Amino acid sequence: MSAYVVRRVISMIILLLLLTLVVFILFSLLPADPARLTCGKGCTPEVLEANRHKLGFDLPVIQQYWEFMKGLFVGRIYAADSPSPVVCNAPCLGYSFKRGEEVLVLIKDRLPPTIWLALGAFFLWLAAGISLGIYAALRRGRWQDKTVMGISLAGYSLPSFFLGLMAIFFIVIRLQLLPYPSYVSPFENPIQFFQTMLLPWIVLAILYAAFYMRLTRNQMLEVLGDDYIRTARAKGLPERVVIRKHALRAGLTPIVTAAGLDLAGLLGGAIITESIFSLPGLGSLAVNSVNDADLPVIVGITLVTATFIIVANLIVDLLYAVIDPRVRLV
Amino acid sequence: MGKANKGLRLAAVGAVAALALAACGGGSSSSTSGGGEPAKGGTLYYLTNAEQFDQIDPQRIYTGEDLAFFNGTIYRTLTAYKFSPDAAEGTSIVGDLATDTGTATNGGQTWEFTIRDGATFQDGSPVTCADVAYGTSRTFATDVITGGPTYAISMLDIPTLEDGSSAYKGPYTGEGQELFDKAVTCSADGKTITFNLSRPVPDFNYTVTLTAFAPVPKASDTGEKYGDAPVSSGPYKIESNKNGKGGKMVLVRNDKWDPASDDYRKAYPDTWQVDYGLDVKVIDQRLLASSGNDATALANGVEPEQLGVIFKSPTEVNPEFAGRAISELDPYVRYLAINVQKVPNLKIRQAIAVALDRDALRKNAGGDFAGDYADGVIKPNMGVDYAPSGMWETLLGEKVADAGNPELAKKLIAASGEAAPTITFDYPQSPTADKAAAIVVDSLGKAGITAKPNPIEPGQYYGVVFDPEKAHELINAGWGPDWPNASTIIPELFTPTGGFNLSQYDNADFNAAVETAKIEPDRAKQAKMWQDLNTKAMADVVVIPTRFGREQRLVGKQIGPVYLWPAYGSWPYAEMYAVQQ
Amino acid sequence: MVKVALIDGPDSLTGSEVASRSLRKIVWTRLRRDKLAMVCLFILIALYLIAIFAPVICGLLGVDPYSFDKESISDSGGGPVGTWGGISTEHPLGVEWGTGRDIFAQLLYGLRISLLIATTATILTVFFGTVLGIISGYAGGKTDAVIGRTMDLILAFPFLLIILAMSGVLTQRLTALGVPDGNPSRITYLIIVLSIFGWPYLARIVRGQVLSVREREFVEASIAMGASRYRILFKEILPNLWAPILVYATLTLPTYVGTEAALSFLGVGVLPPDTSFGGMLGNSVSYFSVVPSYLFIPGVVLVVLVVTFNLVGDAVRDALDPRAGRV
Repeated sequence: MSAYVVRRVISMIILLLLLTLVVFILFSLLPADPARLTCGKGCTPEVLEANRHKLGFDLPVIQQYWEFMKGLFVGRIYAADSPSPVVCNAPCLGYSFKRGEEVLVLIKDRLPPTIWLALGAFFLWLAAGISLGIYAALRRGRWQDKTVMGISLAGYSLPSFFLGLMAIFFIVIRLQLLPYPSYVSPFENPIQFFQTMLLPWIVLAILYAAFYMRLTRNQMLEVLGDDYIRTARAKGLPERVVIRKHALRAGLTPIVTAAGLDLAGLLGGAIITESIFSLPGLGSLAVNSVNDADLPVIVGITLVTATFIIVANLIVDLLYAVIDPRVRLV
Repeated sequence: MGKANKGLRLAAVGAVAALALAACGGGSSSSTSGGGEPAKGGTLYYLTNAEQFDQIDPQRIYTGEDLAFFNGTIYRTLTAYKFSPDAAEGTSIVGDLATDTGTATNGGQTWEFTIRDGATFQDGSPVTCADVAYGTSRTFATDVITGGPTYAISMLDIPTLEDGSSAYKGPYTGEGQELFDKAVTCSADGKTITFNLSRPVPDFNYTVTLTAFAPVPKASDTGEKYGDAPVSSGPYKIESNKNGKGGKMVLVRNDKWDPASDDYRKAYPDTWQVDYGLDVKVIDQRLLASSGNDATALANGVEPEQLGVIFKSPTEVNPEFAGRAISELDPYVRYLAINVQKVPNLKIRQAIAVALDRDALRKNAGGDFAGDYADGVIKPNMGVDYAPSGMWETLLGEKVADAGNPELAKKLIAASGEAAPTITFDYPQSPTADKAAAIVVDSLGKAGITAKPNPIEPGQYYGVVFDPEKAHELINAGWGPDWPNASTIIPELFTPTGGFNLSQYDNADFNAAVETAKIEPDRAKQAKMWQDLNTKAMADVVVIPTRFGREQRLVGKQIGPVYLWPAYGSWPYAEMYAVQQ
Repeated sequence: MVKVALIDGPDSLTGSEVASRSLRKIVWTRLRRDKLAMVCLFILIALYLIAIFAPVICGLLGVDPYSFDKESISDSGGGPVGTWGGISTEHPLGVEWGTGRDIFAQLLYGLRISLLIATTATILTVFFGTVLGIISGYAGGKTDAVIGRTMDLILAFPFLLIILAMSGVLTQRLTALGVPDGNPSRITYLIIVLSIFGWPYLARIVRGQVLSVREREFVEASIAMGASRYRILFKEILPNLWAPILVYATLTLPTYVGTEAALSFLGVGVLPPDTSFGGMLGNSVSYFSVVPSYLFIPGVVLVVLVVTFNLVGDAVRDALDPRAGRV
């Protein structure tokens, strides 16, 4: 087991390194000149060159990559030879000259709304998805099952932005049940926080719950047909215990996989939901940075997001063993 | 008039044309001074969609609204514009940090300002001539101080090197410092500052209204990062600033500011709070409701869908919003620049202008709310510098309808000796701009001209179109003057040394005439020269003027005064107040 | 949002025991009995026909998506004249704010572009997913490892962000490669990126299938008889994969319709004067509190498209795999 963990961690690190390299190569193709953006009006070629140097964009891609990796561990000083050097402390994910801020700080600032959004939606969709899925499985073929499956179909057929816009139109504009979403920290104004987050939570939860309803239902149907469930029932165990202790546990594995990966994906920012509900999260930072060609920030967010997903992959795999004793890690 | 949104904000102007709707008439009937008496104290809220100010560093600020805001709150300048909704009075100047509007000698080539007693920085130290000179010198450090106006470089009597850059490289390297110290001198008592210019500039005292000429204490200068913690000389100082969505800037009273030294700023509220990164719809909804803190909130635009709610017509506010909303001509002219290097044939340029459906473009931008048809780059509210250019009446051979004339355009193409061209239209992307692009494509297509839309991310727009390699034939743009003299329009837009020459226009006769006009001391004669140059540029179809912009704004129920300050096309920040209850 | 990821999933997709030769017949018989599926299939065919013949239909109705109708919009604000977004006999679904272009015609042309992108991208995804999945599963060893890591890498990317960030440069590269400037390049770009980020999901499923099929007696028998690798791959193994591939394809297509709309919504869509569902919905944001039909007309059509595809996909799955059936 521990050998497996070590091997997985090593391959994860290799994957991360590879990923940063690919990201660097991909973004080095971008046309917008990041130096140009910091140069402004009255920009002369010399100033442009100086800025490019300051930002480190005059180096070959591989060397930029090396500087970046070095910065992660020992920090980085931009424009060391100029009158106003910029220090970026380790771990340095880069520095946005456009925003005059370390990328790591920017990402940290934007992480809370994204985390709240992801966690809130996560619990909602797991609760709704799993319970409705089990319910449908137990009522297999009856109208309850069909209704749940219908809801599920509707859920995953609705594009998120259409659902979000409809929510704003009906709940906010027409019925005026909630004010226009305007994010504040829950510690600053909990009421406004909940008023703002309620719709995005529900919208995201509907989209994801749809899939979990199906997944849970299918898993349950499969497991409920297995011999050991029949044995458990034959032993006279109450149905509740059969479902919770035996069926659900055995059927949980793919649900955990999907949940882990989905949560990790959401932590990287739900671009569309954030932009519709104007949440100041990672997703909206990403879109703004794309619009501004703020390369260091885009690279930073891509890496952070990808890291979430890769780490989640590892955790999910390790969790398998804990949940399902049948899985052996080799 | 005021300062143009040169850099990125201009992109926003072009992009969010919906925000800056405008219309015909030129009347200003809807301007009212908000109801109620000023109260001392309270907090005023500035709600904005922007996630940060483009610049906070005084030498780098270069957008109208920001100049007005920071000049009104933390940066005193030698002179400043009067507060008045009246176009003439609101663009005339008074002494601010200086005792008066300055004295010109040597035919306008030497300017002297005397600094007021009692003016201090937020640490209590007096503002001296040396601080103003130091602030001015920062503009020369073009590798550190980017984005700001460069009038100091082009006007001060400091030689230029062969590559066109100044021999003075700014205070950080100190290269050529002695040249600067000769151009800007201080009297022994540190009270009088003298600017020696390279040519007569009859309105240099308007130039120094820019915060680029605001004082900066040398000891506190942190170069590129100065904007993070600038030193205030005004009635407020920055208590905190956090950029980004959900972030805010808080300005609190600067207790070292002596009202006796500053009769220009009223400084009514105790606090200013800028809320960044709000959705435009949220801003509208909050101002419409005007509840709680939003009663003393302001913002800079109204979404098109709310226009019908707030206004009866472009010149009349609905009764329930009386005294809270304005619809005024703004300082900007919207136009499409034609890159004359890529479209050298005049007949072809004429054909493009003739074919363009300006009526559809204006409708798309909001019809009456979006402004009047433009006939040049000088707007009627510029006063003496404006005269009809006759662009659409006579300059193109015959009268051209607002909706364009594809037949005439075809004739012009036939007369050009060239085939109908294929051109690309650069514009900052937004839903409204996409529709405008469709109009350009369609209306030029009717004349046989193939136009291709090239949407560019708004944040990158000017970075791209200022690059001669990347700019195409037709470029969406907008411009407002830096002060009420067309010397901040014609040279900027149509000469190679101008900062906004998207057309890449370089005509020797034209350039010479511009140089003559710049130094003409007689304002009336100068005005005539600008009018003629405007007409000449239109006859050469260097740009296609589309609209003299109009914009709409809304504030909360308990804030005043409510008028568009002509100086910057902005709120009159320094005299705004919470209404007495 | 992360809808592509949602497809990677239920085990019920795999494990069909249906013999390959009679597969088509069995599936078709089962499908025919499913009335809902048949209705949906009919709707889908109708939508494709409408998309293909959009210019003809618009011509018959006397509308087109490009002409401006200045009479239909107000001179104060540019909004449509009349109620419900300017619905009239001339403009059956109203007109666009600011230009007066016909919404109905835009919708039909938008449908065309959406279906073109989603269908082509699905075909490419299925092709690459199948080929790489078979290679990975059959070859094993290093090839398998390389393909496997590549898939991990692709799946770890925040694909929406990458698509947004790379759209400008890659579109230009395509133009440089000879794809016509403008919309052809942009559409090609969308098709390519959707396929690139989509194939690993299918490849994983196919690989799993191949691994299990490879061990079966008939394959081993072929190998023992000295059949060529080509024959084994395409004559023995591939026919066993049709079921999961078909199901995957029917469920991927609607996902791509949604993703394409989302990308257009974020601004990476077709250029004006053309427009697509996402573009229309994106435009509606500024006006929907006044003209809700801007939101609902394209939204409802989009949902109908996706729902019918999903229903057909479900039905195909049920027909292929009665165990997971809706009963």
